[in-house]
Amino acid sequence: MATVADYKDHPLLDQKPSSLITLHHPRLSKRDSVIMDAVMVLERKVALINFTDDSIEIKPIPLELRKKFLGGRGINMVLLSDAYTPGLDPFSADNPLIFGAGLLSGTLGFGSRMNITSKSPESGHLGDANVGGDFGAELVKSGLSHLVIKGKSKNPVYLLIHNGKIEIRDAQKLTGLDTVETQKRIRQEQGDERLQVACIGLAGENQVRFAAIRTGLKNSAARTGLGAVMGSKNLKAVAVRGTLDISLSDPIHYQKYYLRQMKKLMGTKWVQALGRYGTPLLFQYANAMGFLSVRNNQWTTVGDQGYALEAEALEPFSTGMLSCFGCPAHCRHRFFMEEGKYQGTRGEGPEYASVGSLGTKLGNLDLQNIIYATELCNRYGLDTISTGSYIAWAVELYQRGIIDQEMTEIPLNWGDGEGILELLHRIAQRKGFGNILAEGPLAGKVFGEVSRDYLLNIKNFPIEMTDERLPKSFALGMATSSRGACHMRSRPSLDVLGLPEQVLKKIYGGPVSNRFSSYDGKGRMVWWHELFNAVCDSLGFCRFLTVFSSPHAPQYKQFSKLIALSTGLFLNPKELKTIGERISTLERMMLVKDGITRKEDTLPKRYFDEPIAEGPAQGEVILRDAFDRMLDEYYRLHGWDENGIPKEKSLERLDLV
Amino acid sequence: MKIKIDPLKCSGCHLCEMVCSLFHLHLINTEKSAIRIKKDDLDTSMNAPVLCRHCKEMKCLDGEETNRNEEKNRFLWDRTQAERCPFKRLSVLGEIAYHCDLCSGDPQCVQVCTPKAISLTR
Repeated sequence: MATVADYKDHPLLDQKPSSLITLHHPRLSKRDSVIMDAVMVLERKVALINFTDDSIEIKPIPLELRKKFLGGRGINMVLLSDAYTPGLDPFSADNPLIFGAGLLSGTLGFGSRMNITSKSPESGHLGDANVGGDFGAELVKSGLSHLVIKGKSKNPVYLLIHNGKIEIRDAQKLTGLDTVETQKRIRQEQGDERLQVACIGLAGENQVRFAAIRTGLKNSAARTGLGAVMGSKNLKAVAVRGTLDISLSDPIHYQKYYLRQMKKLMGTKWVQALGRYGTPLLFQYANAMGFLSVRNNQWTTVGDQGYALEAEALEPFSTGMLSCFGCPAHCRHRFFMEEGKYQGTRGEGPEYASVGSLGTKLGNLDLQNIIYATELCNRYGLDTISTGSYIAWAVELYQRGIIDQEMTEIPLNWGDGEGILELLHRIAQRKGFGNILAEGPLAGKVFGEVSRDYLLNIKNFPIEMTDERLPKSFALGMATSSRGACHMRSRPSLDVLGLPEQVLKKIYGGPVSNRFSSYDGKGRMVWWHELFNAVCDSLGFCRFLTVFSSPHAPQYKQFSKLIALSTGLFLNPKELKTIGERISTLERMMLVKDGITRKEDTLPKRYFDEPIAEGPAQGEVILRDAFDRMLDEYYRLHGWDENGIPKEKSLERLDLV
Repeated sequence: MKIKIDPLKCSGCHLCEMVCSLFHLHLINTEKSAIRIKKDDLDTSMNAPVLCRHCKEMKCLDGEETNRNEEKNRFLWDRTQAERCPFKRLSVLGEIAYHCDLCSGDPQCVQVCTPKAISLTR
């Protein structure tokens, strides 16, 4: 692996350490006095916090680890894998809750995101969620990139981090507050409006197994129940403020290069549409093509009724578009409901995933109700996707007479918006039937064996707002995702575009069919995006600003240059891809420890046995043989054996032994 | 030349702050920027970019025997100068204030403002 020293003549690199850069500034002496606490990107540290003895230790992150795993999700996985055993109880003191900002978070890049990682109390396997907003950037401005939190506090506490100094503070007064009020109170208490806070709401305190960790009005590290892990540690919030300088390897070329790439990115149709409509623009694709979850995937489109939930329908409520830290795309709606039943409600969102999960998945086509329900989930700190999925499960069981009102207390009907709101309250408060649903997949114990086929799930983690019987690449991505059914691990959204096959071959390095419903080459496509996304998450980049959805958006080549110009670390595109392989295989190794192999890399029964009944994707179903062929191709490219277990020589090649 | 602000369009991305510090100080620190985004991020989600208004009558320099034209082109000011600004538009950290020098005629913040919340006007 090459470092700055090996590239003395590289034209892009200023070889002088940043502290020696000579500035022709009219007041040079004053300039010197404003630069005091500069932290190089690669010098960001990890803090180890343990509530068992209230110990706090801050350690450097070895350069070798950065070269192998970058930061964010990559380093989180290394930190988790040290503690990961099949017997590790997610609610035990030993389960680490790990925060990790991406290597380039807080700088000019393609996003500034963070991953939160732990063993999931929802699936019982690998837990991981990626979150935007400003928290990750603030963490790195304080000189830290990672936090590893272990133990259980006797009393409710929160962590206060200021420029790398960490204090454990009493949080008794915050108990029971919603996620927004919690953030406001901590800012008030500290007298600092710029403090960034990641916290849990009532759902996390009550250890609802699909509780989220939230920061700002909308940003959620929501999937896999990390808010419940935080609640189990009696940790209400982490508050951070950083004012340190971030110094860069070659600031002048770095700024120029970023600007050029950013302008190119903003010229793509995809980012322009995203900046106007946000992710809800994806809803109409899914509905028009027939890969939407409707009534717990009993249907896959709502046809013309879908107009009520499309991006344009959101516009009357939208009062502008917002960005996460350092993002030029501004894909997030700010909304205000001026009139109607939920008059006066304001917030940010909703995203497509919430529109689908609390909308069509539940047969609910009332957009105002969906916006309100999303906001309620945000306040309680619930994952909108999982919440929608468990409610959909219960409604289908009720529809089929498997459970009745004696258990559910209120009638469960498709499209009953007010009923959904009532269930949200009961879940977060763990009241009555809500207490059963709050257990996530474990509610199956109460609902009975026959109920299990109706919780569409993969690796004990529920299917989301889409149905993957039409897009075979999406289906494979869900089946193999390392955190269970998930569209963000490897979904090749490019498949929707039907690009010329020569273009696909150039991107993916092998033959790939451009037909959306074809199985051919889709193993390769999913494998490629899985590696790429692992790298994105480790750099802190956002999928939406990369090749996820536009072939003209930044890829490894651009990542490589940005890393070099900002950190001085040279990792060529091939080396970056290898890092993606290393992270994916490390995650796989944790699943293998849990006994997960090929038989768990599968899809819900409904996908194989029930062809889509009507709509544009009518008749689509997953053929087992063809699915197996995709899986074989996917394993082969990963260097895993036919059972999905990484081969010894792959582990050696990736330096994972 | 002035920078015009349209707060309704501001997405709160902080890119302007980052490039300001990067251009002038060769580092990234959103606190050490002549433009700052004031956020109401837990309530209305409204943002407001705040920077020097480039007033003709520079109240900020009252009582100083400095050359106004030279001062206009300086990025690093003193806290006392910022405190004289009737609009409190300069960001201050410690004893240093950060003043918009319009980047010698090519303001970097305007270049990265994709929602066009800040723009140049003559």
